[in-house]
Amino acid sequence: MSSANRGIMSDIEWRSPTGRIIVGGCLLLLLLVSVIVFFPYFFSFTAGLKTSLEIVRPGLHLFPDKANWNNFIEAWNRFKMIRIFQNSVIAAGGGVIGQIIVSSMMAYSLSRLNPKGKKVIFASILVSMAVPGIAFLIPRYVFMTNVPILHISALNQWWGLWIPYAVSPFMILVLKNAFDNIPKDLFDAAQVDGASEARMFLTFALPLTSSLIIVLGMIAFVGLWGDFLWPYLILRNGDLQTVPVRLYTLTRSFGQNLFMASSFIAMIPPTIAAIFLSRRIRGGLTF
Amino acid sequence: MIDTAASLSRFKRKTPRRVIWKRQGLAFLFLAPGLILFLLMIWYPTVQTVLFSFQNVGLTGSKGWVGLNNFDRMFGDPQFIIAWRNSIVFVLLSLIMGLAVPIVLALMINEMRRFASVFQLIVYLPALIPSAVGLLIWRLIYQPEQTGILNSMLKLVGLPPQLWLSDPNLAKPLIIVIMTWLSAGGSTLIYLSALREIPVEFLEAAELDGFSPFQRVWYVVLPLISSRIQIMLVLQIIIVAQVFTEPFILTQGGPASATMTPVLEIYNAAFVNSDFGLASAWSVSMLVVLSIFSVIYVWLRREDTGMN
Repeated sequence: MSSANRGIMSDIEWRSPTGRIIVGGCLLLLLLVSVIVFFPYFFSFTAGLKTSLEIVRPGLHLFPDKANWNNFIEAWNRFKMIRIFQNSVIAAGGGVIGQIIVSSMMAYSLSRLNPKGKKVIFASILVSMAVPGIAFLIPRYVFMTNVPILHISALNQWWGLWIPYAVSPFMILVLKNAFDNIPKDLFDAAQVDGASEARMFLTFALPLTSSLIIVLGMIAFVGLWGDFLWPYLILRNGDLQTVPVRLYTLTRSFGQNLFMASSFIAMIPPTIAAIFLSRRIRGGLTF
Repeated sequence: MIDTAASLSRFKRKTPRRVIWKRQGLAFLFLAPGLILFLLMIWYPTVQTVLFSFQNVGLTGSKGWVGLNNFDRMFGDPQFIIAWRNSIVFVLLSLIMGLAVPIVLALMINEMRRFASVFQLIVYLPALIPSAVGLLIWRLIYQPEQTGILNSMLKLVGLPPQLWLSDPNLAKPLIIVIMTWLSAGGSTLIYLSALREIPVEFLEAAELDGFSPFQRVWYVVLPLISSRIQIMLVLQIIIVAQVFTEPFILTQGGPASATMTPVLEIYNAAFVNSDFGLASAWSVSMLVVLSIFSVIYVWLRREDTGMN
């Protein structure tokens, strides 16, 4: 990290009067940005503590007269938060597992097994990354709600999410690069010892890239956790709906204060994930 | 002796072929699940969108070819121009309001010696929140009545209450503000890692040559991260042109079609009116326009992905 000793300004400049003014200005602006970032958290938290009358009272009341912690318990129970968190974990978790299995196998083949037409396959994966999602939404929906030959519908089925979620050009490209960077000698030595490709894939390629796979899996998990349109179309049954879909469909069912309390609860897991991920995102992880 | 030689030569001739085919079989075995999914979930549906756009497609599937009927109806709809104009305004607003924010944030965080990692985390927090949840909270913040928190704040400083998202002039910029709130953090981290890759010598040399800190940003830093800025710019155009969740949750396209977008039209045609043919015609119009940017995107990334 080159910025350890200097940023755009050197240490000496940083301590000079001009430097101090610039740094002070940046600090002030960043504090202002932090206030804006935290405002919706603060708003949903305090609104969640208010009574249902207090929340519609005109005038500026940043804090509740009296903190009704019970609201959070009530929101937790009435929104069946355990159930919707569970649904989101199943939907996103299954998607991530599918993504890792499918992408790592594909990446391994492209990196090590030299399939015929490798360039064409690679190019089409790259192109699909840039195809706008709306381009294939309608036929995909028609296909998934009435799968030809099998005559089954993905409506209210977990696989209706898992199958499209398992496709990730981004993960394939990142993993291919990672496999390319494993020293070739390792594989050659294993080959001499008589290891099969499947064995090398499972005992070398995957363990050696496991920390990257965990970060990729987390990024994918958080992304799928927040997906809205597809689960909204596929999961019509309220008992199966994921966090964003359920909160959207329940917007007007309970009081605003309870709704804000449940929204605040819903923001806690992604916030924990952000703490873990913020130091691990690198430029290369952004296709 | 001759026997062995013959069998050896046969062995030599045969083995490489068999091994290659076995390896090819293995290679495609590894590729198979992915290729099937790509085919079924992306490539085939994309082609089918084009085919659907020339057919009458309902809930039960295609009811036959209708020529250009879907396109006639799409172009004949006054909403067509409105939705596309809105989409263009959304993109322009997001470039004006959204593009620079993460760059400036990254530059500022990069100069914070001690608190860099704290601010890095803070700006990243909203990026992982499900956008629908963030939008539902912002919808209450933007409440137009007396009870809305923003209107209460305006009253405190003596300004008249606003209609916020119900005001046709304010709706679009306000949606872009939320989009920036939701996504700036992720882009900031990307720019930060690009800034940290800049060789220290470049900055030292510029400083010795008498460049002020701001001149260094303009003449050294920005040119060095310009390739990343270009990629983010194109990506932003592709994403914002397809804006859906924000107007769907916040305004349903209103007030007075001020936030109607092509994707919202597609949603309504397909999932409200079950007119998948018309929805596909709209999708084709998006595909045609956005494929230009998709090509630019792939071209910009050709080096990162080893495709030359």
